[in-house]
Amino acid sequence: MRRLAGLCLLATIVVVLPILFPDNYYVTVVGVTALLHAILAVSLNLLMGYAGQISLGHAAFFGIGAYTSAILTTRYGWDPWAAIMAGLALTGLVSFLVSRPILRLKGHYLAMATLGLGIIINIILVQGDQLTGGPDGLGGIPTLSLFGWALDTDLRWYWMMGATLLGVVWLALNIIDSRSGRALRALHGSEVAAEMMGINTTAAKTGVFVLAALIASLAGGLFCHQQSFISPDSFNFFFSIELVTMVVLGGMASTYGAVFGALILTLLPELLVVFEDFEVMIFGAILMLMMIFLPQGLFVGLQNLVLRWLNRRRSAAFGAVGE
Amino acid sequence: MALLEVEALTKSFGGVTAIADLSFDVPPGQVYSVIGPNGAGKTTLFNMLSGIYHPDDGSIRFMDQGVVGRQPHQVAALGVSRTFQNLQMFFNMSVLDNVMVGCHLRTRTGLFSAALRLPRIKREEKLSRQWAREALAICHLDKFIGQEAGSLPYGVLKRLEIARALAVEPKLLLMDEPAAGLNDTETLEMRKLIRRICESGITVLLVEHNMGLVMQVSDRILVLDYGSRLAEGTPVEIQNDRRVIEAYLGGEVQYAL
Ligand SMILES: Nc1ncnc2c1ncn2[C@@H]1O[C@H](COP(=O)(O)OP(=O)(O)OP(=O)(O)O)[C@@H](O)[C@H]1O
Ligand SMILES: [Mg+2]
Repeated sequence: MRRLAGLCLLATIVVVLPILFPDNYYVTVVGVTALLHAILAVSLNLLMGYAGQISLGHAAFFGIGAYTSAILTTRYGWDPWAAIMAGLALTGLVSFLVSRPILRLKGHYLAMATLGLGIIINIILVQGDQLTGGPDGLGGIPTLSLFGWALDTDLRWYWMMGATLLGVVWLALNIIDSRSGRALRALHGSEVAAEMMGINTTAAKTGVFVLAALIASLAGGLFCHQQSFISPDSFNFFFSIELVTMVVLGGMASTYGAVFGALILTLLPELLVVFEDFEVMIFGAILMLMMIFLPQGLFVGLQNLVLRWLNRRRSAAFGAVGE
Repeated sequence: MALLEVEALTKSFGGVTAIADLSFDVPPGQVYSVIGPNGAGKTTLFNMLSGIYHPDDGSIRFMDQGVVGRQPHQVAALGVSRTFQNLQMFFNMSVLDNVMVGCHLRTRTGLFSAALRLPRIKREEKLSRQWAREALAICHLDKFIGQEAGSLPYGVLKRLEIARALAVEPKLLLMDEPAAGLNDTETLEMRKLIRRICESGITVLLVEHNMGLVMQVSDRILVLDYGSRLAEGTPVEIQNDRRVIEAYLGGEVQYAL
């Protein structure tokens, strides 16, 4: 069970916080956003950190999930859960269709293509007045209820998002530590060698792209019902960049790193008032500094530091025995 | 019957003809070497045999099945594995994980059952780990098992690539310059490893510039020049072949004797 030790620790933190501070703004309000961001960052990290396929348009799938559910519940009176399912289906379809042509590209070209995808989806949200409410957004979205238990307080939403995050982290950990996960890491390391080991790299890339999109779509579905009002601004290019920054800040190819990155980038704007005016600039600066000074990411960097320190202590202890 | 039959194979890049009307047969259970000067088309030949390049013309048959038109992962499924002239390690993974990737075709778990960690995954993972350990042991890499691939010296990485290819359980192993950059001790170790692999029943197709190694380890040798066949035969025949000596190998072949 050592494999899931980190998950147990994360679960403990998620559960204990609201019990210790039940009415704390930073836990029940900022906390919900942090959990949501963590879900998104973990999904993007599967694609970007592990499989090495960059996406600058991840917010698009978050948006498809949110808008599908919002439109179906407000305009057509659908049940919210059915609407979220419909959002997942649509996201699955869209991501599958675009994955083949897009994932054939590499490096800068892939970045450009996903960027384009994100912009196109956002323009559709802005322009689709009749359906999406255009730039003014869409309000009056009903909240979710779970087994007759309406998610009508911040704290209840906290539990919902927390449970979802733990589920998503569990899925991500399972995948990484499996045949499919090794295939993803392998094609990141060398696509030609991965193919030669019998991995259908096209199918593997499509699989992880669709999976990451589905998780983002689920997050979007939850988000719209939690917010009750959404506008295209929540799903624009800048949010995609913010997600990339979370993954890079935490450390690519580390699931807990992605959670950590999401937490930091959600808390910072709350703590620093200057953030509001210079948000995008600060994200840019963080990205640049990370790439230059700590390319393995803050979380992974700290983790390595601690491990090295522990190792040194252990070998020092062994050395003493040897003498 | 031959394991691999290559017939009238041709490949050019723009104006450069890398392989021209090349035919040869590789019998099973042997070490079959392909030699020739830089740019003779050896790597291009390997790339076509493994499905990475598609030939302009000609046919490749492996165990009576066509190779041309298949993608590399499909060729791998036929039982062909390879190593690369310029290392293609998964540097982002541990030694064990690198070799476990080689077990991909011997296991089945998909993304979905992996995500839910269905019970049979545990069994499959254990099996993969065991297979990977066996492949590492053949290459005498046991002691590196827990390390990160990125931290290993070049000579070890050359053998790790072979271990990874062996984990596929291939019937044919293509090795592109396995001894390049190795010192004398490592080269000797590599020679023994190639023989061990061959004796375990895997046919080896070897590209190598180290003539001493080639002459000692090969059962048959094909000499390429500008993408065409210059000579073919046993090491003794090649060393005494007038065309080979005159053309370019000259001193080197006799030196190796
Ligand atoms: N992808 C490519 N595009 C263009 N030309 C290529 C390509 N691959 C190989 N060539 C050309 O084909 C010819 C044969 O190259 P190849 O790499 O097969 O030689 P080689 O026998 O493996 O040489 P070496 O011993 O140096 O590895 C060379 O002239 C090379 O420049
Ligand atoms: Mg070559």
